[in-house]
Amino acid sequence: MAINKNSNTYIIIYTVVMVVIVGSLLAFLATSLKPQQDANVLNEQKVSIMKAFGEADANFDDMVKIGLVTEGEFTEVAKDDKAGVQAVFDLLGNRKALSEATAELPIFVLEKDGATKYVLPIVGKGLWGDIWGYVSLQQAEDNVVITGIVMDHAGETPGLGAEIATERVQKMFEGKALYNEANEFAVRMQKGGAQNEHQVDAITGGTKTCDGVNAMLAISVGKYEAFLRGAEATAEADTEECACSEEECSEECCGECADECADECCSEEAIVEPVNVEEE
Amino acid sequence: MKLSKNFTNPLAANNPVIVQILGICSALAVTVKLEPAFVMGLSVTFVCAFSNLFMSLLRKGVPSRIRIIVQLVVIATLVIVVDQFLRAYMYDVSKQLSVYVGLIITNCIVMGRVEAFALGNKPWDSFVDGVANGLGYAFILVLVAFFRELFGSGTLFGFDVLARFGYVNNSLMLFPPMALIIIGCIIWVHRSINKDLQEK
Repeated sequence: MAINKNSNTYIIIYTVVMVVIVGSLLAFLATSLKPQQDANVLNEQKVSIMKAFGEADANFDDMVKIGLVTEGEFTEVAKDDKAGVQAVFDLLGNRKALSEATAELPIFVLEKDGATKYVLPIVGKGLWGDIWGYVSLQQAEDNVVITGIVMDHAGETPGLGAEIATERVQKMFEGKALYNEANEFAVRMQKGGAQNEHQVDAITGGTKTCDGVNAMLAISVGKYEAFLRGAEATAEADTEECACSEEECSEECCGECADECADECCSEEAIVEPVNVEEE
Repeated sequence: MKLSKNFTNPLAANNPVIVQILGICSALAVTVKLEPAFVMGLSVTFVCAFSNLFMSLLRKGVPSRIRIIVQLVVIATLVIVVDQFLRAYMYDVSKQLSVYVGLIITNCIVMGRVEAFALGNKPWDSFVDGVANGLGYAFILVLVAFFRELFGSGTLFGFDVLARFGYVNNSLMLFPPMALIIIGCIIWVHRSINKDLQEK
């Protein structure tokens, strides 16, 4: 009995069998390759973070502390907390969730040669699609300075907006202080060329992408402002010498820096009453 | 005799890109550097060869009313296989090729060969035809990428070549229109050699 290959029954059975075979084949393939693919994505994130730190050849796992920032408070995620670490990297991989996050913001800390650097993920929108990257920051005097930045994009125009992914553009951000005299976030890509020490040259023909970079930096870094300011204050307190010397020990002075120099000069005996110079 | 002709024809005299003008869009997009062009060429060769093989094996059972859909399913499956493997084992390249791997599905060469050749020929012949057409495509891709990477970035496979002679990179070569112009030049050279291809 010959089968009628153009009958509806034959066609339906044919398609059902085909789809079941193909579907299970692809499902099997996708599941078995998933661990390797995830490892690639994770490795790429780690390499980008190390690049932002300026330590492209160093091993992420040996050097970097992972943390979360909520309302300016830093909590470390322990290395052996597999689920916690995974959650951080999952968030990095999910740009939408990352841009909407307001608490438990991922941050990476690298302590080397006595200096502490922080890397924050940044996400935003360019002209055609998402732009993202990592920015590395360090405390300096009374400001926060960019020590490195890596940026990538989904589909900016080659030669124009896509230049943000090149080393040439990224190098320009190095050493820029985040806040200006008025304490406002001041780093931006300025059309027509940098006008002050906080700005970098925008890309000719890539204005919309540069606007996106500006918004990305202001918004993403802005979320960490409380933390960065807090870290700034601590850095200041650590470095600032105690203002009191033994000669000028006074109640007033001891009140300001009692902790640091209490032992030296603020014991009760050491406090001398200020001499009244208006005795004449 | 017939088999070897099957194999050599698509490489030169009946090249899918420069004679049949198929698969131009991906040829413009992935030829900035040699490495992605090379991988793309191999991917298309793989997809083309195996879609031809499978469709040839299925050719007697496929209901002719839905044969295009069946072709698409077979081709799409193979493309997903390639895409998944690239993502797992050649992550950097797969990022550079981005959507163009997925777009192999719509590459006219693949479906063109299945429809024109595999449905009417034996599996082994079809397989050879697929490999040859894929290689014909890959050859043009690599040729275009060679010129674009050499003059656009001064490198070949990422190694400095021209840069050490003080060559200033011509970034015009990195834009898609230059790929079209290079393909145009290749077609010009090819037709001046093969006079029978010239239209009167």
